[in-house]
Amino acid sequence: MSAGLPVEIVPRGEVQSSAVPPSERQQARRENWRLIRRRPSFIIGVFIVLVWVACYLFSSWLVPHHPLDFRSIPHLSPRLKFPFGTDDQGRDVLSRVIAGARDVLNVAPLGAVLGVLLGVVVGMIMGYVGGWVDQVVSRVVEAILALPVLLIALLAITTLGRSTWVVIGVIAALFTPVVARTVRAAVVAERDLDYVTSAKLRGESSLFVMFKEILPNVSGPIIVELTVRVGYAVFTVATLSFIGAGPQPPSPDWGVQVSDAFRNIQAGIWWTTLFPAAAIASLVIAVNLIADSVQSVLEAS
Amino acid sequence: MTVGSGVKLAAALAVEDLHVAYTVRGIDRAVLRGVSFAVKPGEAYGLVGESGCGKSTTAYAALRYLPRNGKIVSGRVLVDGHDVTNMSTDQLQEFRATEASMVYQDPAQAMNPTLRVGRQLIESYTLMGVSKVQAHERALEALRKVRIADPARVMDRYPFQLSGGMQQRVVIAMALACDPKLLVLDEPTTGLDATVEAEVLDLVRVLRQESNAAVLLIAHNLGIIRSLCDRVGVMYAGKIVEEGPSAQVFDDPQHPYTVGLLRSLPRRGVRKTEQKLATIPGILPLIGTELATCVFIDRCPIASETCRTIAPPWVPVGDDGVRFTRCHHPDRITEILEDVPEVPISILVASATDASVLELTSVSKTFKHRGSAVPALVDVDLHLSEGETLGIVGESGSGKSTLAKTVLGIESADAGGSVSLDGHQMPGRTTERTRADKRSLQMVFQNPDSALNRSWSVRRILLRSVEKLTNVHGKQANDRVEALAAHLRLTPRHLDLKPRQLSGGLKQRVAIARAFAGDPRIVVCDEPTSALDVSVQAAILNLLADLQAEQKTSYVFISHDMGVVRYLADRIAVMYLGRIQEIGLTDDVFNGPHHPYTEALLSAIPSVDGEVKVRIRLDGEIPSPANPPSGCVFHPRCPRAIAGVCEVTEPPLVEVSDQHSMRCHIPLETLRELQQIS
Repeated sequence: MSAGLPVEIVPRGEVQSSAVPPSERQQARRENWRLIRRRPSFIIGVFIVLVWVACYLFSSWLVPHHPLDFRSIPHLSPRLKFPFGTDDQGRDVLSRVIAGARDVLNVAPLGAVLGVLLGVVVGMIMGYVGGWVDQVVSRVVEAILALPVLLIALLAITTLGRSTWVVIGVIAALFTPVVARTVRAAVVAERDLDYVTSAKLRGESSLFVMFKEILPNVSGPIIVELTVRVGYAVFTVATLSFIGAGPQPPSPDWGVQVSDAFRNIQAGIWWTTLFPAAAIASLVIAVNLIADSVQSVLEAS
Repeated sequence: MTVGSGVKLAAALAVEDLHVAYTVRGIDRAVLRGVSFAVKPGEAYGLVGESGCGKSTTAYAALRYLPRNGKIVSGRVLVDGHDVTNMSTDQLQEFRATEASMVYQDPAQAMNPTLRVGRQLIESYTLMGVSKVQAHERALEALRKVRIADPARVMDRYPFQLSGGMQQRVVIAMALACDPKLLVLDEPTTGLDATVEAEVLDLVRVLRQESNAAVLLIAHNLGIIRSLCDRVGVMYAGKIVEEGPSAQVFDDPQHPYTVGLLRSLPRRGVRKTEQKLATIPGILPLIGTELATCVFIDRCPIASETCRTIAPPWVPVGDDGVRFTRCHHPDRITEILEDVPEVPISILVASATDASVLELTSVSKTFKHRGSAVPALVDVDLHLSEGETLGIVGESGSGKSTLAKTVLGIESADAGGSVSLDGHQMPGRTTERTRADKRSLQMVFQNPDSALNRSWSVRRILLRSVEKLTNVHGKQANDRVEALAAHLRLTPRHLDLKPRQLSGGLKQRVAIARAFAGDPRIVVCDEPTSALDVSVQAAILNLLADLQAEQKTSYVFISHDMGVVRYLADRIAVMYLGRIQEIGLTDDVFNGPHHPYTEALLSAIPSVDGEVKVRIRLDGEIPSPANPPSGCVFHPRCPRAIAGVCEVTEPPLVEVSDQHSMRCHIPLETLRELQQIS
C-alpha cells in the first residue's frame, strides 16, 4: 500500500505562497542554472561542440594543409607532421577532418530545426484539434515511422538529386513525425486545462490558443526534442554520405571519408577510418550530453 | 486517564516532541516544530488544520513513511510502546505489516490496478504467514466486515471495476487485515461523493467499535472530525495549538486559530444577507521560517506584547485536565467572538429583481459514447433573475457540470432546447455567439492552477480578457486592468507575477477578475472554493457576494458543499442523473419538506456543530447515466420509494408550493410527515 506515498514533498507553502519575494524565486532559478553549468557533462558537451563550430567557421585558417589539393605519400601512419596520418591519395587526414565539419554543420542543425518546426505544427494540430484529424494523421505518422529511414532517404535523394537542400529537406521530413508525436502528447495534456476553456469563452481563435496559449507551456519538451534531434541529424547526415547519398568524393565530408577508407582497415590502415568516425561520434555525443543536461534542468524546474 | 506520564505506557500511539524537516534545495526546513500527543487504544484522535500546517507530515512520520527529503530531526514516536524512530529497516517492515496501517485519500492509487482485488487482499494475510487457503477465508471475512454484500464477486474484480466507495472499503479491509494497533486515515473520504462519504464514515465508526485499534484521522473537514473523533488536535505551522474532546473544542474554542477556522465556515444556516464570513488575515508562515514565539502571532487579532517576547506555554483549560491551548490569552477569546463583521449595506439592499437574465427551456444534452447515447442532461427548464444566485448541487454524474458547459456554449444543447440571454436565444456554441453574448457569460473554475495560463503574467491574463471582451485597447485597456485588479484587492505588484508565484486564494482572485473583465451578466462558478482552505474560502465567498451586490451579476453556483451553497445562493436546484429533482428558494429547500434525494444529501453532511439529525442513508451507488433506472431515476436508492409506482413512471417536475418544484410521486404533505417537519 505504499502507492499513496509522495516520493518527494516540495511543500505547498514553498510553491504557492504569495509571501515569497520574487527575488527568492529568481535566485532559485539562477541557482538551477548555476547547478547545470557546473555539470561536467554540460561543460564537456559545449566544449566539443564549440571546437567543431570553430572548425566550421575558420577551417581555412585552421587546416595545416589543403584538404583536397595537398598531396604527400599515401597511407602514412600518424606522426608529428601528420598527426592523423595521410589517406590513400596522400592527403592530410587532420585537415580533412577539420574541413569535414563544414558539410555536417551546414546540414544537420538546419534539418533538425526545420524538422522540429514542422513537427511542432503538425503535433499541435493533432493534439489540439483531436478527433478524426488526429486519428488520420496519427496513422500516417505511424506508417512513416514503420518505414526504414534510410530507404526513404535514398529514394528521395535519388529522385530529387543530392543537393544540400534536398538532404536538409529529407532530414526535416524524417524527423517531423517523431517530433509531432512528442508535441502531440504534451498538447493533449494541456488541451483540457481550464485556461484553454477560458480562452474559448472569450472567443480566441484556435491559432491563438495553440500558439500563444499552449505553445509556451509545452516549450520544455520541444527544446529537449530539438537538442536530441540535432544529434540524430548529425548521425543521419553521416550515414547518408557513407552510403553515397550525400556529398561525393573528393569531398572531405566525414561520412564520405569513412566510406572511402573502411575497406583498408584489414590492411592495418586504421587511421583513415578512425579519425573521421571519431569526429562523428564526438559531435553526436557532445550534442547528447547537452540535451541531457537541458532535459534535467527543465524537468527540475 | 489523564494525559501525562501515565498515558505513555498505555498509549497505542505517543508522539513526543517531534521535529521533522524537509530538505529543499540543500537547506533543512522545519515542518513539525515539536508535536506531542497520545492516542489510547480504541480512541480516535483527529488532526485538523489548513493545508501546509503539517498534519499529513505528522501522519507519515507516525509510520516513518516520510518522503525522501524528509527526516525526523528529534523527538520520538511510540506505537504500542515501540519507538518507531530508531527501528531498523527489517523491524520497520515487520512493524508496518503487523502493528500499523494507513488508508490514503485516493483508494485507486493504493491498489495495484493489474491485480484482482482478491489477490491483493489475500496477500495482506499471506505476508503475515497465514496459509493460502486460510488467507482466502479471511479475505472473504474481511470484505464482509467492511459491509460488502457479495465478497466473492468483489474478490474476482479488478480495482477499476469498483466504484470509489467500494475501493475505499477494500482498502480499509486491507488496512485492517493485520488487526493493527494503530490505523492512520489520511483524508479517507475527500474524493468521494457526499452520500458515499457518509457510508464510509459510518463504516469507520462501526469498525472502531469492533476493533480496539487507535485511530489517527487527518481531515480538513471539521465536521468529519467532530462526528468521528473523541479528541482533536488543531495544528498550525507545525505545532498543535489546541487539544481536547472534539465537541468541546468545536463548541468552545480556546485558541485564536481554532476560533478563526470555525468562524470562517458558513455554519448554522447563515446567509450572505445576514452575516459576512470572518476571515483569518495573512497567510501561513512558510515551512522553515524561524518562529521564535507564538506560531500564530502574525495573524492573531489579540496578540499582545507578551506574545511577541515569550513563546506561549501549553496550558490546561478547565479543571478536568483534558483540554489544552498554546495561548497566553485564552481569557480574551471572547473579544474575537464578539467582533462580527458587518454586512455591507449594498448586499442588504441588493436583491434579485424580476428581470430574467437567463432562460433555459427543455435543454437536454446527450453524449455519444461507443455508439450508445448517454443522456447527461434531461429536459432542464431554468430561469435566472438579475442579481440572483442559483445554487446547483448534486453528486458526480448528476449533470451539474454539463449544465454549466451547456449554458456557456462549451457544449451545445440537443436540438429542441434553447438557452436565452436577456430574451434572445443564443447559438449553442461559444464560437457562434456574438461578442456581447461572450462578455455577458463568463466562468470561474474550480482549480485556479488549471484555469490560469502558467506562462502568462497576471497582467497579460487580465489584459487579454479586457481587450477581447470589451474591445478597448492600449492605455484604456491597461487602466481597466488596473482598476479591475484594485477592485479585487490585488496590488499592482501582483500584476507582474506569474500565477505560480501566487497563493491559491490570490490565484482565484485573478480568475474572478478575469471573469469580470467585461462586466458580465452571468458568471458560472464551478466549485470555486473547493480547492481552497476554509479561511481563504471565506474571503472568496465574501468577494463574490460584494461583486454581485455592486454589479447585479447573476451567479450559477455549482458546489457540493451544502453550507457554502446555503450561504450564497438565493435559490437551489438539486440534480440527480441529469434531471432537476428539486428547485426552490434556499430556505424552502433546506427547511423542507425536501425531495427524498435532497433529504439524503442533507443528512449525509457531517456537521461541525454536532447537530443530531434524523439520518436517511442511501444504499448502493449512483447509477450510470448511460443506463438510467426505469421510472423515477432515484427509485432504486430511495428509502421512501412507493413500490409499484416509482419504478414505473417518472414523476414530472411540479410546483408544490410557491417557487418550489419537485420531481416526486409522494405528496408534499406525506413528505412533511415522513421528514417530521413542523
